[in-house]
Amino acid sequence: MADDPDSTHFGYRTVDSDEKAGLVRGVFDSVAANYDLMNDVMSFGIHRLWKRFAIQLAGVRAGQRVLDLASGTGDLADRFADLVGPDGLVLMTDINASMLEVGRDRMIDRGHAGNLAYAQVDAEALPFADDSLDLITIAFGLRNVTDKERALAAMYRALRPGGRALVLEFSKPVNRPLEKLYDLYSFSILPRMGQLIAKDADSYRYLAESIRMHPDQETLKGMMEDAGFERCDVHNLSGGIVAVHRGFKL
Amino acid sequence: MTVRDLALESLERALNAVVALDPDTADRLAALHGKVVRIVLSGTGIALNLVPGHDGRLQLVGGLEGEPDATLTGSPFDLLRASDSADGHAQLFAGRVRIDGDTRVAQRLSAALAALDIDWEERLAAYTGDIAAHEVGRGVRAARAEGERLGRSARTNLSEYLTEEARVLPHRYEVAEFLADVDTLRDDAERLGARIALLENRRRKGDAP
Repeated sequence: MADDPDSTHFGYRTVDSDEKAGLVRGVFDSVAANYDLMNDVMSFGIHRLWKRFAIQLAGVRAGQRVLDLASGTGDLADRFADLVGPDGLVLMTDINASMLEVGRDRMIDRGHAGNLAYAQVDAEALPFADDSLDLITIAFGLRNVTDKERALAAMYRALRPGGRALVLEFSKPVNRPLEKLYDLYSFSILPRMGQLIAKDADSYRYLAESIRMHPDQETLKGMMEDAGFERCDVHNLSGGIVAVHRGFKL
Repeated sequence: MTVRDLALESLERALNAVVALDPDTADRLAALHGKVVRIVLSGTGIALNLVPGHDGRLQLVGGLEGEPDATLTGSPFDLLRASDSADGHAQLFAGRVRIDGDTRVAQRLSAALAALDIDWEERLAAYTGDIAAHEVGRGVRAARAEGERLGRSARTNLSEYLTEEARVLPHRYEVAEFLADVDTLRDDAERLGARIALLENRRRKGDAP
């Protein structure tokens, strides 16, 4: 976190807290149309396996109510909607209207109806009743939230006792050689790929920088515990490039 | 995240590609939206969960918390044979495949998967035009019929050898007779039990003043 309470990080830059949401919005407005393609290219398709792993940890059952924050194009929401069955409910949300629109169109194209709802939601101020949800997930989204502590506290509040939160996010590689390779990839290759495919190098440079500024495994776990979550655990994927944090409200 | 996740991902894709080709099966699977059927391969320690989605697409999940709606347990070979629409029930009744939980869900799922009948001709016609596709379709059908005939005769020969010549396995009539004997014995035992209970009851009443 930045030292000044009114400032925060936007990639490597320090900006006013009020400014960050607008800057992040700019990034995602710019990448929305090519988001899926870029995910596949950037992660060599591995993001599907990361998400698959997160779904196993989610333990979703028929009839449950699931909130997916920062849904993006809805990879998780798509699977959750099939797992909760016709009696469950999945709330697909994003703070960014362009991303939500792309995601909603995709879900409608896939034929989801009845157990999937859409809303533009700010993770820091969840418009849901206390103790009302079985599961809250945020995949590759917490990094872009201005005040992460507030978001975690809001998630904790909206979960019902026994419910759980999952944070799937880029993290810190656990060994040095991998870290070097990963740095090379994210700062030299990634922005060029972004330029080539999405015609937008800056947004992908922001992606790489924001990943470096994101709290590492232990720090984020501590933040979740501070927000009230119990029995928190961390699962490193692909050598810690990505980690799933899980916490329960008991 | 393991190699198994990767295998599940590719198996799921392959399976869903086939389901997508057969709208009838997709509908039947969609009726099971959100139900969890766990398949346990006995002897291997491998379990996987099948969850049909709203459009019949299946999700294959390795570890899933909580109890599934139904569980099918059997050796890989027995499970494969149980999914055969003609022969499947025999497998179930022979006790080689065990169903726990909601048997109706398990049966509907396996029936839907067993019925996967892909119209290759229709699929091909989109690429090659009708006549070529029909020729190819006829070839595929003939090959499949021949394959089934060979499979059937191999099965008959093998079972004949095992039951009649090697006498390793009992003949199906012997099994039927044995099962009938078991039923009779069980009924006799139950009748005897009831009789004893009755007599004891009577004795206790007789003892009472």
